[in-house]
Amino acid sequence: MIATIISSGLAFSLPLLAMALSGIYSERSGITNLAVEGFQGFGAFAGAIAAVILQTMSSTGVSFGVSLLVAFVGGAFLAMLHALMCIRFKANQVISGVVVNIFAMAMTAYLTKHLNAALFGQSSDKLILNVAPRFTVPVLSKIPVLGAAFTNVYVFEPVIILVVIAAWFVMYKTRFGMYLRACGDNPQAVDAAGISVARIRYIAVALGGGFAGLGGISYAYSISSNFSANIYSGYGYLAIAALIFGNWNILPTLLACLLFGFARSTGYQIVLMAELPSAYQDLIMILPYVLTLVVLIFFSKRNRSPRALGIPYNKGQR
Amino acid sequence: MNDLDKKTSLLVRILGGERRQKVTIPVFAILIGLVVGGIVIAATGSNPFSSYHNILQGCGLAPKPSYGGKKGMITDFMDFLDFTTPMILAALSFAVSMKAGLFNIGISGQMLAAGFVSTVAIGYSSLSAGVAKPLVVLIGLFVGAAVGAFIGFLKYRFNINEVVSTIMVNYIFRYIVTFFINVYYVDPVSRQSKQIATASRLSLQKVPVGGYKMTIPLGVIIAAAAAVFVYIFIEKTKTGFEIKAVGASREGARYSGINVGRNIVLAMTISGGLAGLAGVTYFLGYVGSIQPGTLVSTGFDSIAVCLLGNCNPLGIIFSSLFISALDNGSVYMTSSSGVEFEIADVIIGVILVFSACSAFISYLIDKKTREGKEER
Repeated sequence: MIATIISSGLAFSLPLLAMALSGIYSERSGITNLAVEGFQGFGAFAGAIAAVILQTMSSTGVSFGVSLLVAFVGGAFLAMLHALMCIRFKANQVISGVVVNIFAMAMTAYLTKHLNAALFGQSSDKLILNVAPRFTVPVLSKIPVLGAAFTNVYVFEPVIILVVIAAWFVMYKTRFGMYLRACGDNPQAVDAAGISVARIRYIAVALGGGFAGLGGISYAYSISSNFSANIYSGYGYLAIAALIFGNWNILPTLLACLLFGFARSTGYQIVLMAELPSAYQDLIMILPYVLTLVVLIFFSKRNRSPRALGIPYNKGQR
Repeated sequence: MNDLDKKTSLLVRILGGERRQKVTIPVFAILIGLVVGGIVIAATGSNPFSSYHNILQGCGLAPKPSYGGKKGMITDFMDFLDFTTPMILAALSFAVSMKAGLFNIGISGQMLAAGFVSTVAIGYSSLSAGVAKPLVVLIGLFVGAAVGAFIGFLKYRFNINEVVSTIMVNYIFRYIVTFFINVYYVDPVSRQSKQIATASRLSLQKVPVGGYKMTIPLGVIIAAAAAVFVYIFIEKTKTGFEIKAVGASREGARYSGINVGRNIVLAMTISGGLAGLAGVTYFLGYVGSIQPGTLVSTGFDSIAVCLLGNCNPLGIIFSSLFISALDNGSVYMTSSSGVEFEIADVIIGVILVFSACSAFISYLIDKKTREGKEER
C-alpha cells in the first residue's frame, strides 16, 4: 500500500513541479503567470497530436520521446502569446493569463475534434495515447519501502528531474539566470547593464511555457492515457499555489509539490482500503485544493513576491 | 511616413477619441474575432456567411426555414433570453470585483454553490410557487455572497491572491456537489441531479401565448434590476466611490483614510451575491437540474463579456447578448451546416485576446494623435 502511495504520489508530484517551474521562471523575470493551466493544456495537445501521428508508424518509445519534445515546443509557443501581450502590448498580466487559458481551452477543443475528423475520419473529442512506457531500476527497487520510488517509474519522471536540475542550474548558477532574477526585482539595473529586459523576459516566459507543456503531456499520459478537455482540471493553478508556498524558489516548491502528490495518493488509497463506493473519490479529490488553501493561509503573509512582478517595464521610469 | 505609421493613423481616424474608443475598440475586437472565425470556417470547407446566418437563426434573430409545432422565431428568442440571463448576472459580478481591483475567477463555483443549495433546500420541496421562487432567489443571493465574503476575507486577512483562492474554491465545490448529487440526488436515467419542482423554477416552461408554447424567463427581470443596481451603486454612492478608489490604488485609498479591507470584503460579497443570482437563474431557471462533475463555462466567459462591455452595466448587457448569441446559436449552426460548435469558443477567444490589448491600442492612438498635433 505504501509502495502505491509513493509511486503514484511521485507520478503526480513531478509533472506538477514542472508546471510550477513554469510559473517560477516567468514570475522571477517579472511577468505574472496565471496562464500555466493554458500552457500545460496546449503543450499536452501539441504532444498528443505528435504522438497519435507517430504511434501508427513507429515504436512507442519514439512516439513518446517526440511527444515530450513537441509538448515542450507547444507550451513555449503559446507562452509567446502571453509574453507578447504582457511585454509588447502592455496588457494587464492577470487578464492576459486568464485570456490565454480561455483561448487555449477553446483552441485545443476545436482542433482536437477537427484533426480527429481530418486525420482519422472519426468524430471524437479525444486523442488516444499509447500506454506510457515504465521501467524499474534493477538494484535500487529492492530497497525496502523506498524501493517503490524506483519501481514502475514512468519515463517522464527522470526526464522532468533532469529538466528541473538543469533549470535550477541555469537560474542560480549562470549569468542568464542572474539577469532573469534581476529582471523580476530590479529591471532598471538590468537595463543599465546594457541588457534588454524585454528579451530576457520573452525567453523566461517561453522556457516556462515549455516546462508547463512537459508537465501537461505527462499528465495526459499518466492520468488518462488520452488528451481531452479533461486536461484542464486546475492542476496549473495548483502549481501556482505550490510556487507561492515555495516563495518563488525551486527547492521549497519541490516540497510543496510532493506534499500535494502524497496527500492525493494517500487519499485514494484510503478510499480503496476502506472499500468505499467510487463516489467517495470525489471527496478525496478535494484534498489537494483544501490543502492549498490551508497552506496559503499560513504562507501568504510572510511571502515576498519578486518586486517588479506584474509591472510592465518602462525605460523612462525610475 | 512609413507603412506602419499610415496604418496606425488610419486606425486613429476609425477608432476616434477617448470617449468613442469605449465603443469602437470592443466593436473592432468583435469584428476581428468574426473575421478570424470566418477564415477558419472557410478554411475547413464551409461557408462562413451561412454559418453566421445559422447562428442568428438559432437565437430567434432570423427566421429558420421551418419550425416544429408551436415553435417560432419568438420561442427561439425567448430561449435565447433565458440562456443570456445568467451571463448578464455573472458579468456584472465580475465587473463589481474588477472595480475593486480584484479578479473573481470563481464565479462558476459560486454559481454552483448557490444553485446546489437552492435546489436541495427549495427545488425538492413542495412549497407553492409564490413562496418558492422568492426563496430560491434569496438563498442564491445569500450563498453566493457568503462565498464571496469568504474570498474577500482571505484576501484581506491573509493576503491570499484571490485568483488562486477562487479557483481552489471552484474545484472544492465542484467535487463536493458532484459527491452529493451522485450519492443522494442523482436521476438514474439522465445522470444529472433530479429535475426540480416546477413551482421553484425561475423560467416558466411551455406557457401557451398566442398559439406558441414558450419559455418565460423571469430571471431577465432580476438581471435588469441587478444592472441598474450595479450602475447606481458604483457610480452614485459613496461606498461605490470608495471601492473604485481601492481598485485604482490600494495605497492611495489607504492614505486618504478609506478602509481598504472593509471595501475589499464588501466588493467580493456583492460580486459573490451577483454570481449566486447567476447560479439560480442558470440551474433553477435555464436548466432545471445540475450536471455533476462540471463547472459551467458561463463563469469564465463572463470575464470576456465584462471586458468587452468595458465593465459598464449597459455595455455588459450588449456584450452578454452578443457572446451568448454566438454560444447559443452555434448549436443550431452545427446541426444545420455541420460546422463544429467549438468554433464559437475560438471566436470568443480571439475577441478576448484583442480586447485584452485594448489598453495598448488606446495608448497607441493617444501617442499618434499627440504626435500629429506636435507636427502641426
